[in-house]
Amino acid sequence: MTYFFQLVVSGIVVGSIYALAAIGFVLIYKSSRVLNLAHGQLIAAGAYITYTLTVYCHIPIYISFVLSMILTFFLAMSVERIFLRRLIGEPIISVIMVTIGLMSIIDGVIYLTPFGSENLSFPSFLPSQPIVFQGIYISYTQLAGVLITFLLIGVFSWFFRKSTVGISMRAVSDDQMASMSIGISVPRVFGLAWATAGLTAAAAGGILGNIVGLNFDTLHAFGIIVFPVVILGGLDSLPGAVAAGIIMGLIQQFASGYLDGNWGLSGTASLLPYIVLLVILLFKPHGLFGTHEIERV
Amino acid sequence: MKTKKISIWLVVAAAALMLAAPGSSMAGEVYKTALSLAITGPTSDAGNPYSKGAEDYFRYVNDMNLLGDDTIECTIRDDKYETAITKRNFEEFLDMGIVFYLNYSTGSTLALKRDFDEVKMPTLPASFHAGNIEGSDYIFLPIASYSAQNIGLAEYVVDHHEGGTPKVAMYVHPSAFGREPVKDIEKAIEAGLDIELVETVEHGQDLDVTAMIQRWRSKGVEYVISQTVQSPVATMLKGAGNLGQVAESFGEEGKMTFLGAHYTGGNDLIALAGDAAENFYWTTSYIVTSEPGAGAEAQLELAQRYGRDEKTSNSHNYANGIMVAQVTTEVIRRAKARGNEINKENLYQELLEMNGMNAFYPVTTVGPVTYSKDDHQGVDTLQLYVVRDGAFRAEGKPFISEYAEKIK
Repeated sequence: MTYFFQLVVSGIVVGSIYALAAIGFVLIYKSSRVLNLAHGQLIAAGAYITYTLTVYCHIPIYISFVLSMILTFFLAMSVERIFLRRLIGEPIISVIMVTIGLMSIIDGVIYLTPFGSENLSFPSFLPSQPIVFQGIYISYTQLAGVLITFLLIGVFSWFFRKSTVGISMRAVSDDQMASMSIGISVPRVFGLAWATAGLTAAAAGGILGNIVGLNFDTLHAFGIIVFPVVILGGLDSLPGAVAAGIIMGLIQQFASGYLDGNWGLSGTASLLPYIVLLVILLFKPHGLFGTHEIERV
Repeated sequence: MKTKKISIWLVVAAAALMLAAPGSSMAGEVYKTALSLAITGPTSDAGNPYSKGAEDYFRYVNDMNLLGDDTIECTIRDDKYETAITKRNFEEFLDMGIVFYLNYSTGSTLALKRDFDEVKMPTLPASFHAGNIEGSDYIFLPIASYSAQNIGLAEYVVDHHEGGTPKVAMYVHPSAFGREPVKDIEKAIEAGLDIELVETVEHGQDLDVTAMIQRWRSKGVEYVISQTVQSPVATMLKGAGNLGQVAESFGEEGKMTFLGAHYTGGNDLIALAGDAAENFYWTTSYIVTSEPGAGAEAQLELAQRYGRDEKTSNSHNYANGIMVAQVTTEVIRRAKARGNEINKENLYQELLEMNGMNAFYPVTTVGPVTYSKDDHQGVDTLQLYVVRDGAFRAEGKPFISEYAEKIK
C-alpha cells in the first residue's frame, strides 16, 4: 500500500506542475481563442530570468522567483502588444502562425544568451534530505512546487470569480462583441491574459528548473509535453487544466509503477496518457471541462 | 590621350596581379574541411563546446604553421540537430571542394552514410553509434562505440561486484543512439558476460522517477547503466537521491550504483545534478581536465590562447572537438610528408594506415587512435571516472572492453 500512496504523491507532484504550465495556455485561449504555441519558450525565459537574478545579481532565490514572475508578466504583455494585438480580427490560423514565429524568435534569442546551450542548476536553497512520512518520500523541492502551484491556482480562481478585471476577462472570453458594447476594453483584456500566462510560465519555469535543472531543450519542450493536459481538461477551463494535470500525472506514475517492466511492457508511462486522452476525446470532444458551444440555426 | 594612359595603367595593374598570383600559391595550399553540428537546438550543450574545440585546434594549426605554409580552412555550420539541414550543409561543403568531413549526430550520420560512401568522403562523426560504421567504408568513429562503452561498464560491474550475478537495469535514450548498446549487451550476456539484465527503460521527459526507482528496487536492481544524455540522467540521480537509493561506494549493498557512457557524464552532468551527481561512474576515451596531466594542460592552454571561458575549457566535448581536428590535421600532415596530393582519397588511405607503429597519440584521449580497413573505431581504450567532491576523478587504469571484441 505504501508503494501505491508513493505513486499517488508522485503523480500529484508531477500533475500539479503540468497544471501550472497548462494554466498559461488556458488563460490565453479563454480570453482570445488563441493557442500560444510559444508557451514553452516563456517557461524557459522565466527559468533563466530567475537563474540570472539569483546567480548574477545575488538576489535571494525566493525574491528572484517573484521578480522573475513580474518580469515575465511584462515580457508576455509586450509580446502581445507588439505581435498579437494588430492581429485582432484576423483569421485564427494567422494568429497561430505568429505564435509559431514567436517560438523561433524566442528560441533564437535564448540561444544568443549564455544559457541556450548550457546545463545549469539553481543553487541549493532547500534541505537535500527528503521528507519521509510512513515510508512515503517527497523532496522539499517537490513539496515547494506543489504548494506554489496550488497557491497560484487559488489566487487565479479568486481573481476570475471576484475581481472586476477577472470578471471582465471571463466576459470577453464568452462574447467579445457583447463585452465591447458594455465598455470592456478587449485589447486590454488580451494583454492581461498574455501577461498572466507569462506570470504562470515563470512560476512553472522556476519550479521545473529546480526539479530537473536548467536545460533549454527540456524547458521549452515542456510547453509541448503539457499540451495533451490542456486538451484533456478543455482548452478554456481552468479547473479542467488542474484536474487534467493531476490525472495525467497519476496515469504516468501508475503506468510506470505497475505496467512498465512487467509483461514485456515498456514506455507506457509516456504512451498511456495519450491513449487515455484519445479515448476521452471520443466521448467528450471538448475535453473534460471544455465549453461545448451550441449554435442555433 | 587620357584613355591611352588609363589603358596603360590597366595593363600594368593586370600584369602585377598575374605576377602576384603565383606568389600567393607559393604562400601555401589551403585544405578545405567542414563540420556540421548542433551549435543551437537539441544537444547543443555538447555541440557548442565541440565546435569550439575543433575551431580552436584548426586556428592553432594555422597560427603555429604546423603544416608549414599550408593552412586548413574548416567551415563550421550549425544544423540545429536537424538531418535535413545537415544534408544541405554537406552538399554545399562538397561544392566547396572539401577533402575531409566532420559530422555530428547519430541520425544524420546514419542518414548520410550512403552519401559519404558515394562521394568517398572520409568522415568522423561525434556519434559513437556502432551502427554508423556497419556497411560503411568511409565513416570512422573517433573513440570506442557506445556499445563498447556500455559493455565495458558492465564488465567493470562484474569484476567489482561481490556475491553472485549482479542485477543491472539500463536507462536509455529512445533512439538508435540509445537502443543499439542494449542489443550488444544482450549479445555479450549470451557470450558469457555474467550480469542479469533485469530491465531496460527508454526514458521520456520525466519529471519524477520515483515509480521507476521503486520498481527497480523491488526487483533487486543493484546497478544502473545509462546510455543517453545528461539531462535525464540528472533527473534520475536527483530522484534516486531523494529516495535514498544512491550507493555511496561502488556496489554498496541495498543501494544502486549509477554508471553511464560518454554523453551521460562530464561537467555538464555535475552542473545539472549538483550534489546528486556524487558517486556517478562514467566512462569515455577522452581525458578530463579535473585529472592533472599533459593532455589536460594542453587543452587548458589551447582554451586560454583563444579566450574560452572556464566551462568550455573544462568540457570533455571541447576535448572531443579538438581530437577530431587533430586527426584531420594528422592525416593531412602524413599525406604531405609522403609528398602526396591532399585529396579525400589520399587522406582516406592515411586513416587506414593509422595503426601499429603508425598509431596516433593526440593526448586528448586515454589511448592511441588506430584505424585500419577492418577497424573503424579510433580509440579502443576506455577510462572509468567517478564524481568525488564535485569533480570527475580517474578510477583505476585505462582498459579495453573484452566482450566488445568477442561479439564483433
